[in-house]
Order: sequence, then C-alpha cells, then structure tokens
Amino acid sequence: MVVDLAWRLFRHEAKRGELTVILFAIVLSVSAVLSLSLFSERLQSALVERSAAFIAADSQLWSRNGFDESWINYAQEQGLNTAKRASTRSMAFGQEDMALVDLRAVSDAYPLKGTVKVADEPFGQLYDTESLPQPGFAWIDARLFQLLDLTLGGTIDIGDKTLVVERVLGEIPDAGFSVFNTDPIVLMAIEDLPEANITGPGSRVNYVTYFTGSEDQLEAYYEWLRPQMDDEIHWWRSLEGDESRIGRSVARAEQYFLLASLLAIVLAAVSIAVAAQRYSQRHFDPVAIMKTLGATKQMIQRVYVLQILFIMLLGITLGLAVGFAIQQLVVIALADTVDVSLSVWHWRPVVIATFTGALCALMFSLYPLMQLFSVPPLRVLRRDISSTLTARWLQFLLAGGAIFFLMWSYSGDLLISAILFASGIVLIAGLIGVTFGLIALGRKLGQGSMGAWQLAWARIRRRAMDNSVQLISFSITIMLLLVVLVMRNDMIEEWRGQLPEGTPNYFMANIADDDKAALLSHFETNGVTVDELFPIVRGRFIEVNGERVNTEVTKEDDDTPREGRDGLGREANLSWSNQLQKENVVVEGEWHDKWQPSTSEGTVYYPVSLESEVAGRLDLKLGDKLTFNIGSEMVYTEVTSIREVNWQTMQPNFFFVLHPAAMDAFKPTYLTSFHLDAERKPVLTSLLQPFPTITLFDVDARINQLRSIVDQVSLAVEFILILVLAAGSLVLIAQVQASMDERQQELAILRTLGAKGSLIRQSVVFEFIIIGVVAGLMAAIANELSLYLLQTQVFQMSPGLHLDYWGVAAVAGAVVVGTLGAISCWRLLSLNTTTLLRRMV
Amino acid sequence: MTQHGKTDSSSSISARQVTKTVTTGEGKLQILQPISFEVMAGESIAIVGASGSGKSTLLGLLAGLDETSSGEIWLEGSPLHNLDEEARARLRGEKVGFIFQSFMLVQSLTALENVMLPAQIAGLSDPKGRAEQILDQVGLSHRAHHYPNQLSGGEQQRVAIARAFIGQPKILFADEPTGNLDAANSGKVEQLLFDLNKQNGTTLVLVTHDDELAARCQRQLRMHAGELSEVALKEAS
Repeated sequence: MVVDLAWRLFRHEAKRGELTVILFAIVLSVSAVLSLSLFSERLQSALVERSAAFIAADSQLWSRNGFDESWINYAQEQGLNTAKRASTRSMAFGQEDMALVDLRAVSDAYPLKGTVKVADEPFGQLYDTESLPQPGFAWIDARLFQLLDLTLGGTIDIGDKTLVVERVLGEIPDAGFSVFNTDPIVLMAIEDLPEANITGPGSRVNYVTYFTGSEDQLEAYYEWLRPQMDDEIHWWRSLEGDESRIGRSVARAEQYFLLASLLAIVLAAVSIAVAAQRYSQRHFDPVAIMKTLGATKQMIQRVYVLQILFIMLLGITLGLAVGFAIQQLVVIALADTVDVSLSVWHWRPVVIATFTGALCALMFSLYPLMQLFSVPPLRVLRRDISSTLTARWLQFLLAGGAIFFLMWSYSGDLLISAILFASGIVLIAGLIGVTFGLIALGRKLGQGSMGAWQLAWARIRRRAMDNSVQLISFSITIMLLLVVLVMRNDMIEEWRGQLPEGTPNYFMANIADDDKAALLSHFETNGVTVDELFPIVRGRFIEVNGERVNTEVTKEDDDTPREGRDGLGREANLSWSNQLQKENVVVEGEWHDKWQPSTSEGTVYYPVSLESEVAGRLDLKLGDKLTFNIGSEMVYTEVTSIREVNWQTMQPNFFFVLHPAAMDAFKPTYLTSFHLDAERKPVLTSLLQPFPTITLFDVDARINQLRSIVDQVSLAVEFILILVLAAGSLVLIAQVQASMDERQQELAILRTLGAKGSLIRQSVVFEFIIIGVVAGLMAAIANELSLYLLQTQVFQMSPGLHLDYWGVAAVAGAVVVGTLGAISCWRLLSLNTTTLLRRMV
Repeated sequence: MTQHGKTDSSSSISARQVTKTVTTGEGKLQILQPISFEVMAGESIAIVGASGSGKSTLLGLLAGLDETSSGEIWLEGSPLHNLDEEARARLRGEKVGFIFQSFMLVQSLTALENVMLPAQIAGLSDPKGRAEQILDQVGLSHRAHHYPNQLSGGEQQRVAIARAFIGQPKILFADEPTGNLDAANSGKVEQLLFDLNKQNGTTLVLVTHDDELAARCQRQLRMHAGELSEVALKEAS
C-alpha cells in the first residue's frame, strides 16, 4: 500500500510538473559532474599521455651502476614495456676538433612515449622518424656539426668507437627543457657502448630504464621494486613527480579541473536543497491530511522516502544520459583541436556522478523531509501551523557536512575543500549580517506611499529569513562562478605570459668579446633585435670550504666509488652582474650590489649568488666558501645569497652569479637571445655567417610545443568554465522559480486588490535587482578571500585583487537575477487571478 | 452516566474538564475554559459560535488533532488524553472521518485517489472498489479521474464527504462544511452529509456559524469566549 501510494503521488507530481525542479536539479548535478569529470578525465589522460612523451615513458628508473636485468625481466613478466638508455657526458672527436657531448645510447624500443625528430640538414626542417641509429651509426645534434665541422656521412669517435654520422638529430622526447648548460646530444645504439669503453669505474653514467603500462601495473611494480632500491644509487621518476614546466602545467590544470568539478557539485547541491525545500513545503498539506486520516508517522516517512528514491533513480538515470550526451558532443566539437581519445571508457566519473546524485538527493532533502514529517495534523484546521521542526542549525549542519564530505571525498584534497568551505562560512555569516542591516535600512526607506520600490522593500523586510537564505544561495552561486572565472583568467594569463609573442626562439653562445660590437650592428642592420648580453666564463667548481668536490676529471686517478661531496659534474657557466636578473628572487642572504672588498685575511672572497635548486642539490648554504678554477686561475667566493629562479621564462638563467669584481681578470664570451619569425628563418644563415665561432641554439620547436600544450589546456579550461557557468545559471533559475512559489500568493492578492500588472512586475524586478546587487557584491568579497587562499595555498600563483570583478559581479547579479525574476514573474502574471487564487488552496 | 475512568457504553464522545492553554508573546492564554459534555452514539451535534470563540480549537481536541492542556477526552471508549500522536492517528484512521471548510483534498491525487486514501491508510481491502462505489453515491463517478483543481467547490466537498465515509467511521467531524460554498451547493452538500450520516449511523460533530445548518442537528452547543453552553434540545428526528 505504501509503495502504491508513494508511486501514485510520485507519478501525479511528475505528471503535473511539480517534480520538474527537483528532478531537474538532480539531472543537472549528475550530468554536470559526469560530463565535467568524464571530460576532465579524458583530457587528463590526453595531457598525461602528451606529458608522458616528455619523459619518453610513464615512469623511469634511474641507476648509477648499470641495469639490473632481473628487474627488467620481472617488469616484462608483469606486462610492462621497457626500454633502456645509458647516458653520460663524454668527449666526441671529429677530424680536428673535440666537444663535450650529452651521449645517449638507447635500446631499440626507445622512446616508449613520444617521437624522435630528425632533419636532413643542420637546423633544417624537422620530421618524425620511427627508426633509431643502428650499431655503428650516430645521430647528432645540429650544433655538433658546427662545433666539429662535420657533414653527414662523416665520422666521430666516442671513446674507442668510431661511428658514422647518419642523421641530424632534431629532438628526442626526454631531452629536457633546459636550453642552457646543456651539451649537444649524440644518439647511438646501446649495443655499441661496450666497445666505446667509456663506462668504466668512476665514469658518470646514468642507466635509465623506461616503463610503460597501466597505472595499476606500474604501481604494483614500483611497490615490488621499492624495497630493493638503494637510494644512493637508484631513483624512480614518474610524471606526477615531474617538476618540469609541463609537469607543473598538467598538475595545475588537474587542480583546476578538480576545483571546477567541486564547485559544480556545490552548485548542484544548492539547487537540490532549494528544490527539496520547495517540494517539502508543497507537501505540508498532504501530510497533515494523511495524518488526520490516520496515517502514522512511519507510514508517511515511507511514502516520502520512497518518493525521494524514485526521483533519485530517475534523476540519476536521466542525468547520466544527458551528461554522457553533452560530453560526447563537446568531444566531437573539440576533436580537431584537442587530442582526446574517444575510445577510452572511464568508470570512475560514472560512479562519482551517481554517488554525487544519490548523496545530494538524500542529504539535501533530509532536513526538508524531517520538516515535512513533523507537520502536525492540526494544520488541517489551522493553516498557519507549518512544521514544528525549526532547527535551522540542523539544516546548516546537514547541508554543510554533506558539502564538505562531498568535496573532501571527491577531491581527496583537504586543503582545497577547507579553503572553499571556510570562505563559504565567512560568506554566509557576512550575508546574514548584511541582510539584516539592509532590512533595518529598508524599514526606513520602505515607509510612505506604496510605489514599486516600497513594495519591493516591504517584501524584503517581511521575509527577512527567507530572503537571507535566498541571498546566501545567490551569493554562493555567483561567488563560485567568479572563482572559476577568475582562476581561469589568471591561470591562462600566467601560462600565456610565460611565452608571449616575440619570445626569443634562438640563443647564441660563445660570442667573443671582440665580436660583440660587430654582431650588434650586423643584427641591427638586418632588423633583428638582440636581447641583453650575458657575460660567461666557463669554470670548474672544485672546492667547498677547502674540501675538494668530485669532478669528472677524478676518474683517472680514483678507482673507488665516489666519496665526499658531489660536484656539478661538468664545467659551470659563471656569469656576473651587479643587477639581479628579472624573475629572480633572493630567498636567503642579500644580493651583492652593495658589497665592498675586505682583505683582512689576505684572500678575497667574492660574493656569489646561487640558484636555490643547485644549492640544495650540492648541499651548499650561505657562508660556504666555494673555489672555482678558471683557466689556470683560482677564484675564491663566498655564498652571500640564494636565489629562486623562474625557469619557466625563456630567458638565460645561471646557477652561479658572481660579483663583477671577481671576474675582472677574465675575458668572457657572451650569451644572448633573439626572436626571429618563422618566415624569416632562411636569413638565419646569412645572419650568422660573419661569426663562425658563435653557437646557435634553436628553441623554436620547443616553444611551439609548449604553446600548443598551453593552448590545449586553456581550451579545456574554457570548456569547463562554460559548463560551470551553465550549471550556475540553472541553479539561479531554480532558485528564482522556487522563490516565485512563495510570491504567488502575494501576487494573487495584489492582483485581486486591483494592483496594476506593471506595478507588481516592477516591484518584483526591483526586489530581485536589490538581491542581485547585494549578492554580487558579497560574492565579489568572498571571491577575493577564496582566491587569495586558493592561489597562495593550492595553485602557487601570485595573488592579487580583482577589483574589476566587483562591479561586474554586482551588475551581473542585478541583471541576471533581475531578468530571471522578471521572466518568472511574467509567467505568473500571465495566469489569470482565478487560477492564481485556486493554486493557493 | 459514567464511573470513574470509564464511559457510558452508549457514549461516543466524552469530554471532562477539558482546557486548552497556549503560550503567546504576552504570556499564557487560556483559550478553552473547563469544558465537559457527552455525545451519544449516532447523535448529531452542532458547535456554534462566533469567529475566534474556540470552536475549531475544541474540534481539534475532540478529534485528537491537538492535545489538551488538562482534562480527559474519551472517543469511542479510548482515552485520547493518554494516547500519543501515533496511537491517536491510528484511532482516527479506524473510527473518525473529517470534512473541512477548505475541503483539504490532496491536490496531486485524483478524486478517486483522494477517496481511496483513508481506506489505503487503514489497510482495508479493495480500496478502489469501495471508493468507486461511494463516489457513485455522491454522484461524482463521472469525475473520478479529475484532479481537485478541475472540480468546482461543491464537487470538491462531495469528494471530501465520500472520503470521510469510505472507512465507515463511527464519528464524523465537520468543520464549516458549507462555509466555502454558494447556497445551491451548500444545500446539496448538507443533504448528502445528513443522508450519509443517517445511513451509516455515524455520530456527527459539526462546527458552524450557520444557524440553519446547526438547526439540522439534534443538539447545539454554543461556544463563547472559550466557554461552552447548551443551546436547546431538539426532538430526535
């Protein structure tokens, strides 16, 4: 009987459109969450896939002393794909010259992710290749052709092995993004390595094993491997731990998707709460009637809980279908721009969406239902009696708890959840204060003749609590939209800002002091602007506080494994300046521009500023005395500052920046950069012809690669913004509609009493405008708070005020809420008075 | 008439020293002075009085919709004053029918479903058959599948009457049953009410300020400022 009654009520309510709002809210929440997470999941896998290309695999195992074949075999048994690379810095000899190269000997499965690019001539057009250098052959960097004066088909010697130069190596996936302090790459077959005899004891060879496989497989393998690894010798690298530019962009985009999805959930929850409240209030009478007719509380509970279950099931089913459809449409629409795989099916978003729909439907209807159950039968005689349950705190507790639980369980990120939640609480507290303040103000303004404004104020005043609830939900919705919007703008701006138009795409090193002037005028006549010239002297870092550090040269005289401090492993590019470079921040000590030499102990220790990561890696701190060997001279320095460097900018940066006084005696070469449009690329040769000693670095391809990733991520972020905006607007509509219910009776009475339609309409629109402006302003304030916390605590971005959004929020609030109010009001006023009055019964 | 704690076997409703006090912003307010009276089984009584005299409050108490502040109410031998909300609901479901001024039909159920509702709640067999039969009796079988807002006031009240009688209640409480109706419909509804009442041998407690309607009852009790007085005795019809 209970099921039958519940089903009947449900069916009729649905047929009469009474369930539309709540059903709509559930469908909206489920579909928004599903499409957002489905899309972001797919996009993430696409991004991760792309980013995986930058480490040429899903994960890498680094070792200092050779490959452990048993580990590799075990990985293959577990279904993982593997590839090998041994790399070291070594000398490569041409006919007459020699150069230090970044030697990479790879197995034939390399690279597991990404592609190798080659060109037919140095600095020529790059194209993908599937093949790799076979034994006996080498593919080499374009720069090396310059350095060693080589041509294709020529030979180079690596250790004891002679290799034929077969192709110009353009790009390999895991070359890294550091353009400076790198040596030209030589790619060869790993089979040739033993014959080269360069991997003996004391050599600095890194043995990298690449792995690809499913996340679970990789995790299980790492679990197995972890206890066997020696931290001194082995380390594991995967994308999550990737601190590269791309790694960070992906991480930030993931956080943004997470944030947007969280906000979509909150929006959905708000709309369900609004709809459930409305549903509950509409059923006060039926419950009172049923109780009067002898229904027990238990029976009523069953009838209504069953109805919620029916709605929930229907809502979730429809929501999943709609969400899936939206997602498919978007993927199809974006297929050309974003490389998103359509074939991958993810269960997680479906589970999340279903769970979200169910939890929202139950948790947010719980309090309205409890209110409904407590309606006394006496209401049939006294219509003013409604629910006996008036514990608003319980409602806030239930709703707040549910939101927090959803945020937390979904994101697994306590920080983001706590920040958003705390901002929400502050917002609510502020709004309650403002609402009551306004009501007090309105009491004064609302006196006098009954114009539309007065009527609006009177209504706001009369429904203080209802209005504050409404104001709060409007504000939260607007705030969440603002957060998503501003975050998106700031983030994309920051990304794009790193690579603005005209970003230098070529770097020149080895510019001789004597060539400097000639070069500048030659470039100027060709219409190419050269950026700042940085002086460089190559030096060997040999001592810390009198203790020798390991350098590459130790291999001849030292057979034992490395002991003592690690050195840099190669010559360092030392630069000097009195001026702190832009995008550099001194985090410890003081910048050395005010330094005066003191010669008290005979030896002068010149100030040196260290880049923070290198300081950490070499375990150097303020006050350490570092000795550099430059040519035949020793330079003694003291660490006086440690800098954080933004490596994300495409500008030269240096690990060591000395005081100019330290370098007086040395003749530097210069490093600089310039931008050349793609169509002017052919002039490159003539530009450089007069200066054969200059080494050119072409980073154009890298920049384009970065740009395309930034563009794709930005596009995805924009798509998500649109979805959240849509979700937010729909919530606003639901809220306005719900509040229209409450106004219905009043409108009917005013209408009956002969009030003009225009007066009623205006008063309702004014009321909504007032609410919209206040909600917009409050949202702007709360937005600043959440953004400050989010940007500083989660996204590691520089925070800022967003004053322009204050006006936007207030105006948008007034326009959107006012318009929605007007539309709903129009609908109501188009009904005749009799219908309105009858609806009141 | 009664022994202590028990009612006369022929008594349908028994009120003893019933009071009602409510707490308002200005302190406690006694809205019903101690009231005692008996209603015999099958008897029809009218409670009359001006608006605000306490008629509806008394009706609420007698029907177990509200709780007394003191005193006892016995309904068909059950001590309402000792029963909790749930037990009172069950008692209403078994023995009481209601008719209200504003009809109180469930808007989302059809006329037929509204009539079925008490039978379903009480777990009676074949609620649909019973409802169809009684709808036919009130002359609304052709409107069975209409929703309340598609029916006229008179029709709605006839649905309400059908609903009140479907469970064959021992007692029927009617609160201004014709208060929302025009003269023609009022007459029709009144007639139906009294006919069915007689047919079922139901005890009728009717709250009204319509003297004509009150006059059709066997007894009239007048409420004035929370106090009850017997108006006149009428010969049993």
